[in-house]
Amino acid sequence: MIHAVAVQQGEYSLSLLTRLKTWRSADWLPLVCAVICPIPVVGQSNNPLPPFVADTAMVSGFERFGSHAEIPERQAGSLLISELSCTACHASDDEWLEPKRGPRLNGVGNVVQQDWLRRYLADPHQVKSGTTMPHLLVLLPDAERAEAIEALVAFLNTQREPFPELKAGGVNPVVHEFWKRGDQERGTRLYHSIGCVACHEPDADYETVESKPSAIDELIEQLDQEEIVELGLAAAARRVKSVPHGDLTGKYSLRSLAMMLLDPARVRPNSRMPSLRLTPQEAADIATYLLARSGTPVSDVVPVTPTQALVDRGRDLFVELRCSNCHEVTGIKNYKPAKPLAELDFAVRSSCLEEPSADMARYRLDEMQRTAIRFVKNGEEPRDRSDADEVSFRMLQLNCFGCHERDGLGGVGRFRKPYFETVGNVDLGDEGRLPPSLGNVGRKLRPQALAAVFQPKSPPHRRYMTIRMPSYPTSVVELLISHLPVADGVDKSDELQVFTGSKLAEAGRDMVNTGCVQCHPFRGESLPGVVGIDLNEVTSRVYPRWFYDFIHNPNDLKNRTRMPSFFPNGRSNRPDLLDGNVALQISAIWAYLKNLEHEPLPEKIETARSANYELVPTDKPIVLRTFMNVAGTHAIAVGFPQGVHYAFDAEQVRMAIAWKGRFLDARGTWFERFTPPANPLGEHEVMFSPGHLFVSDDPREFQFGGYRLEANGVPTLLYRYGNCSIADHIEVADEGTLKRTLKIVASTFGEDVVLRAHAGRKLIASGPSTYTDEQGLSVTLPENMASTGSLQQSDDEQEWLIPLKVDGSTTVVLEYQW
Amino acid sequence: MVTRLLITLLLPMLVCSNGRGAEENDYYRLISISTASAATDSRSKNWKPAPDGLALEISGMDFLDDGRLAVAIRKGEVWILDGVYDDPPSDVTYKRFASALHEPLGLLQYDGDLLTVQRSELTRLRDLDRDDVADEYLTIAKGWGVTGHYHEYAYGPKLDGDGKLWITLNIGLGLKGAELKRTLADAALGYRQGRWRGWGMIVTPEGKLVPVCAGMRSPSGLGANADGDMFYTDQQGNWVATNSLHHMRPGVFFHHAEALASMNEPGSTIHEVEKVPDGLPLPQAMAEFKQLRPPAVWFPYKKMGQSATDIMLDESAGKFGPFTGQLFVGEFTQAGINRVFLEKVDGEYQGACFPFRLGLASAVLRMAQGADGSMFVGLTNRGWSSLGDASYGLQRLVWTGKTPFEIKEMKARPDGFELEFTLPVDPQSAGDVNSYRMTSYTYLYHSTYGSDEIETATPAITSAEVSKDRYRVRLHIDGLRELFLHELNATGVQSTSGEPLLHPEAYYTLNRIPKTKN
Repeated sequence: MIHAVAVQQGEYSLSLLTRLKTWRSADWLPLVCAVICPIPVVGQSNNPLPPFVADTAMVSGFERFGSHAEIPERQAGSLLISELSCTACHASDDEWLEPKRGPRLNGVGNVVQQDWLRRYLADPHQVKSGTTMPHLLVLLPDAERAEAIEALVAFLNTQREPFPELKAGGVNPVVHEFWKRGDQERGTRLYHSIGCVACHEPDADYETVESKPSAIDELIEQLDQEEIVELGLAAAARRVKSVPHGDLTGKYSLRSLAMMLLDPARVRPNSRMPSLRLTPQEAADIATYLLARSGTPVSDVVPVTPTQALVDRGRDLFVELRCSNCHEVTGIKNYKPAKPLAELDFAVRSSCLEEPSADMARYRLDEMQRTAIRFVKNGEEPRDRSDADEVSFRMLQLNCFGCHERDGLGGVGRFRKPYFETVGNVDLGDEGRLPPSLGNVGRKLRPQALAAVFQPKSPPHRRYMTIRMPSYPTSVVELLISHLPVADGVDKSDELQVFTGSKLAEAGRDMVNTGCVQCHPFRGESLPGVVGIDLNEVTSRVYPRWFYDFIHNPNDLKNRTRMPSFFPNGRSNRPDLLDGNVALQISAIWAYLKNLEHEPLPEKIETARSANYELVPTDKPIVLRTFMNVAGTHAIAVGFPQGVHYAFDAEQVRMAIAWKGRFLDARGTWFERFTPPANPLGEHEVMFSPGHLFVSDDPREFQFGGYRLEANGVPTLLYRYGNCSIADHIEVADEGTLKRTLKIVASTFGEDVVLRAHAGRKLIASGPSTYTDEQGLSVTLPENMASTGSLQQSDDEQEWLIPLKVDGSTTVVLEYQW
Repeated sequence: MVTRLLITLLLPMLVCSNGRGAEENDYYRLISISTASAATDSRSKNWKPAPDGLALEISGMDFLDDGRLAVAIRKGEVWILDGVYDDPPSDVTYKRFASALHEPLGLLQYDGDLLTVQRSELTRLRDLDRDDVADEYLTIAKGWGVTGHYHEYAYGPKLDGDGKLWITLNIGLGLKGAELKRTLADAALGYRQGRWRGWGMIVTPEGKLVPVCAGMRSPSGLGANADGDMFYTDQQGNWVATNSLHHMRPGVFFHHAEALASMNEPGSTIHEVEKVPDGLPLPQAMAEFKQLRPPAVWFPYKKMGQSATDIMLDESAGKFGPFTGQLFVGEFTQAGINRVFLEKVDGEYQGACFPFRLGLASAVLRMAQGADGSMFVGLTNRGWSSLGDASYGLQRLVWTGKTPFEIKEMKARPDGFELEFTLPVDPQSAGDVNSYRMTSYTYLYHSTYGSDEIETATPAITSAEVSKDRYRVRLHIDGLRELFLHELNATGVQSTSGEPLLHPEAYYTLNRIPKTKN
């Protein structure tokens, strides 16, 4: 299906060009018009959405705040000048007026469909309403305009760059021709949940989760317009306009749109469209959704090769018309300036802003926009700008306010809130689903943590939100990173200046157990159902002073936060701890969190975790095969309900360790890729001396054969020793002892073996048939057998050896006690 | 008060809106028997399964004689599932048969019992009283090195045509600390690995390990072809240029040099390797390293997946569609399944691979064919990553009865290739050389991770002859190169009803160019 479309498109473009080539006379004009004019109608007729008609250039920050006089006039006007790229032609040294500029066009030949380009150049606003690109050909006579369009399209068609090769790896699935494998339904869901609709229009039909409306929205619902204005809620009540998409299906292919979505900054270095950290599959899904909803997408743009003469003409025009002032292309470095901004006379009637003449472009602006622009030119010279001004201006340019509130400005608008959800629809209030307010953020985050927020590889901090913080190139956000701390009056005092006391981590663990664990995970572990910001590494992200103040009284720094104070009226909820000393208690929390990687988890979390992964034998023994430090990589651990456990080393075929109390935690063995050893949780560990239960010079005489589970669930270990096969049944006898019954069957009659009943650095006879080693481990044999044994001294060990003659079948019983 | 409302799309649904995934579903339909999403990211250090239900991270699968499905799961258990053929599978029952196994990565019904390879041994699970709970966990064979490194996975067993049991052993990666104490004391060439790491072995009925071939990195899939010969898949990484399929046979060496650590062990079938070339194109590396053998099939990276896993022979005699006798190979990262055609040239296997199906719910680790021909697919992506919305589970792939238009076979000829299609072709498009594109390339044999495609060339397709029955096309090609992979794209070929190929790509590993016409 897709292939067929691609081919048709190619044929269509080719035939059009062939026809144009033949008609290089005055006769070709009517044909071009015939081709151009009807297409916008065709392009829109399939579109089920009501087209958003912005008659004027759409600059989000101006629409939302400037046009309602909610930001200073100088900011409003400067914002328009920069976003409309006025200064790309009319130079200015005011940094605020630095032009946004347009996309890089170096690869436009295989990114954008020629037919769309043709229509767009003929009237940008008609094809993409709200575009900030001016109409550059508006003043050309019709015939010349048509010719110019063909030449520009031909030139742009030669601007081809291969799409970047995506790196695949174990973490990065990249399917062959992934852009053909997008899923419209998944794309719809992504578009409406990860942040696209923070700027762009949601589908009218998309149904969101029903969530509790914010208190303020509930209030607004009940007021009339007049009351809303009186209460200063006009901004909160307003519908925020969307950045229009234009005719995406006519413009992009599945591939070119998916590639743009994956890395918008490659084509649009100004990052007004940021990266939403998409995987290739997600990019394909969203591209499929965006293109399939208003037509039949093509999978690839098929470029055609125009005549050289037309290309050359297009190249000249590209400079002549000042396209190259805003757009980077390959092979053109020329720049054609116009009169510097300072020298422009804004009083004249004819300008780019209104009734253009001569070689001027035409911007679609309304009177309010023009007034704002003129204010910058006519108003006072720029004064010293505060850090706060710098921050808010950059946030206006990047439309950070589309998501974030700061100093009363911006935030997710009233009508967009439903698209901001929590993963799994957990009710955490607005704080748990909306992007955070940026008030005081410069006081809170250390510079490297602030910078990390924007970096593409940083993992999300608020995993419970479906919205994603976009990533930005450093160059785009460095102004924010440098001005935010000063704007917010950062206090960089170090730990020693802020905190007090020492050796407080243990008390800190107790503190966090009281309250923090109810809402926060700790290094990936949490109480059941708890979602929130993980407190791991918090001490390297935030300034100590902010931490102190925030814990002391969260509401002082964060309005209406759900985070409660643990020090109501300045008094601790835990008077029993550290004498109720508030400063010491906050210092203790910091001390604990700072060392969290090496500290035990908070007790409540530890308990909850154990409930899932600690093996607690109740009615039957539990077996676990795992790696253990003492019992090796072939360990078989057996835990008994009576609280006595052992581990057998199936490689060396020997008992390795026994202990009492708690058995083992199985999570590492069951679910961890890096297979950490499982070590005894209990106490009273006793190690068994290296070597076997039978004296032998050759370890190959021992062969492990597995085990059998008896009806009561107790395993009997099976192995061979020389000519004997041994069934080794170990169970818990009375009073916490292990009783080991060996059934030895020899394949030859009258086999002589020597039982090594016990071994240790020093063995002491502690009963008529018992020896105890230096750990306190006693081995008891039946008296008749004990009497035949003797104590032998080997290198640095004493061994209790008993010679046995195995006639067919022999049973030996050993009892371990410690 | 949170309610999930159904997402209703009132927008016109377009046929092409779901791309190839949707088209594949027209021919091979997916049924989810049980899938679940873990509570954490697949690579999380604190990985946790979904809060309720069984962590069905399937690592081994076989059907019992009574038709029930036995599965091993990674946490170390074996479960017996009944009702898996129901559609919808609303009444599947689960019974725990065995537990306390150490990461079992295979499962085989054998002589009334179940066999599985754990990290440290091949184990026979016996249910003496027939209550569906194993009573004996008997050690059949052990003795390979287990240093404690996570990457030392052990796989199998599977049966070859002679009834022999095969297992494969992963190589360890960058061993440290206590792990080094468990490496071979006098390893050849100074490599530090546990015994038989990176080897494929046969286990005799007496439990003796018989080393057969070596040089494996991550041989997670084993399987016999229709002739009963045994194959394994390997995964891209150090020494392994891209994913591959190999015929296991005595004395041959595949990729990973560190498997030579066991060269001087009693029973080794590899001898007298003094130096391993590092950084040569494969054909030159083979000239210098005489035991080195190319894979029967390379799977070019990304184009044909990123991590090859299990091997399943289609023995359905047509119940699973037109590919009887071919091999299906699991794909972990891209959550898919590929297809392989093999032929013998001068006594050695080589052949082509083709895309088959993507869009499974998670990483494909295991596959087994049911009695009705449908394919049961075991999924788990823990520790790595994969496409798909789930973390683990069991899905079933059922042929809808509609034959996809595919390149069924691609055979080497002295002067080109012969393609066989699943449906008759339109002679005009199939007879046009412009309907085809071909490139050829090989890989570097080196110790670094993976290899780019190197020495790429474009062999010229000089003619395309359509057979009388219209099922076959003979491509005459100038510039075939031995030991190069030949990538074919037959985008222009249409069936007699005008359909394009569901998958126009085929990748032939041309180790040998046949000398005579067969």
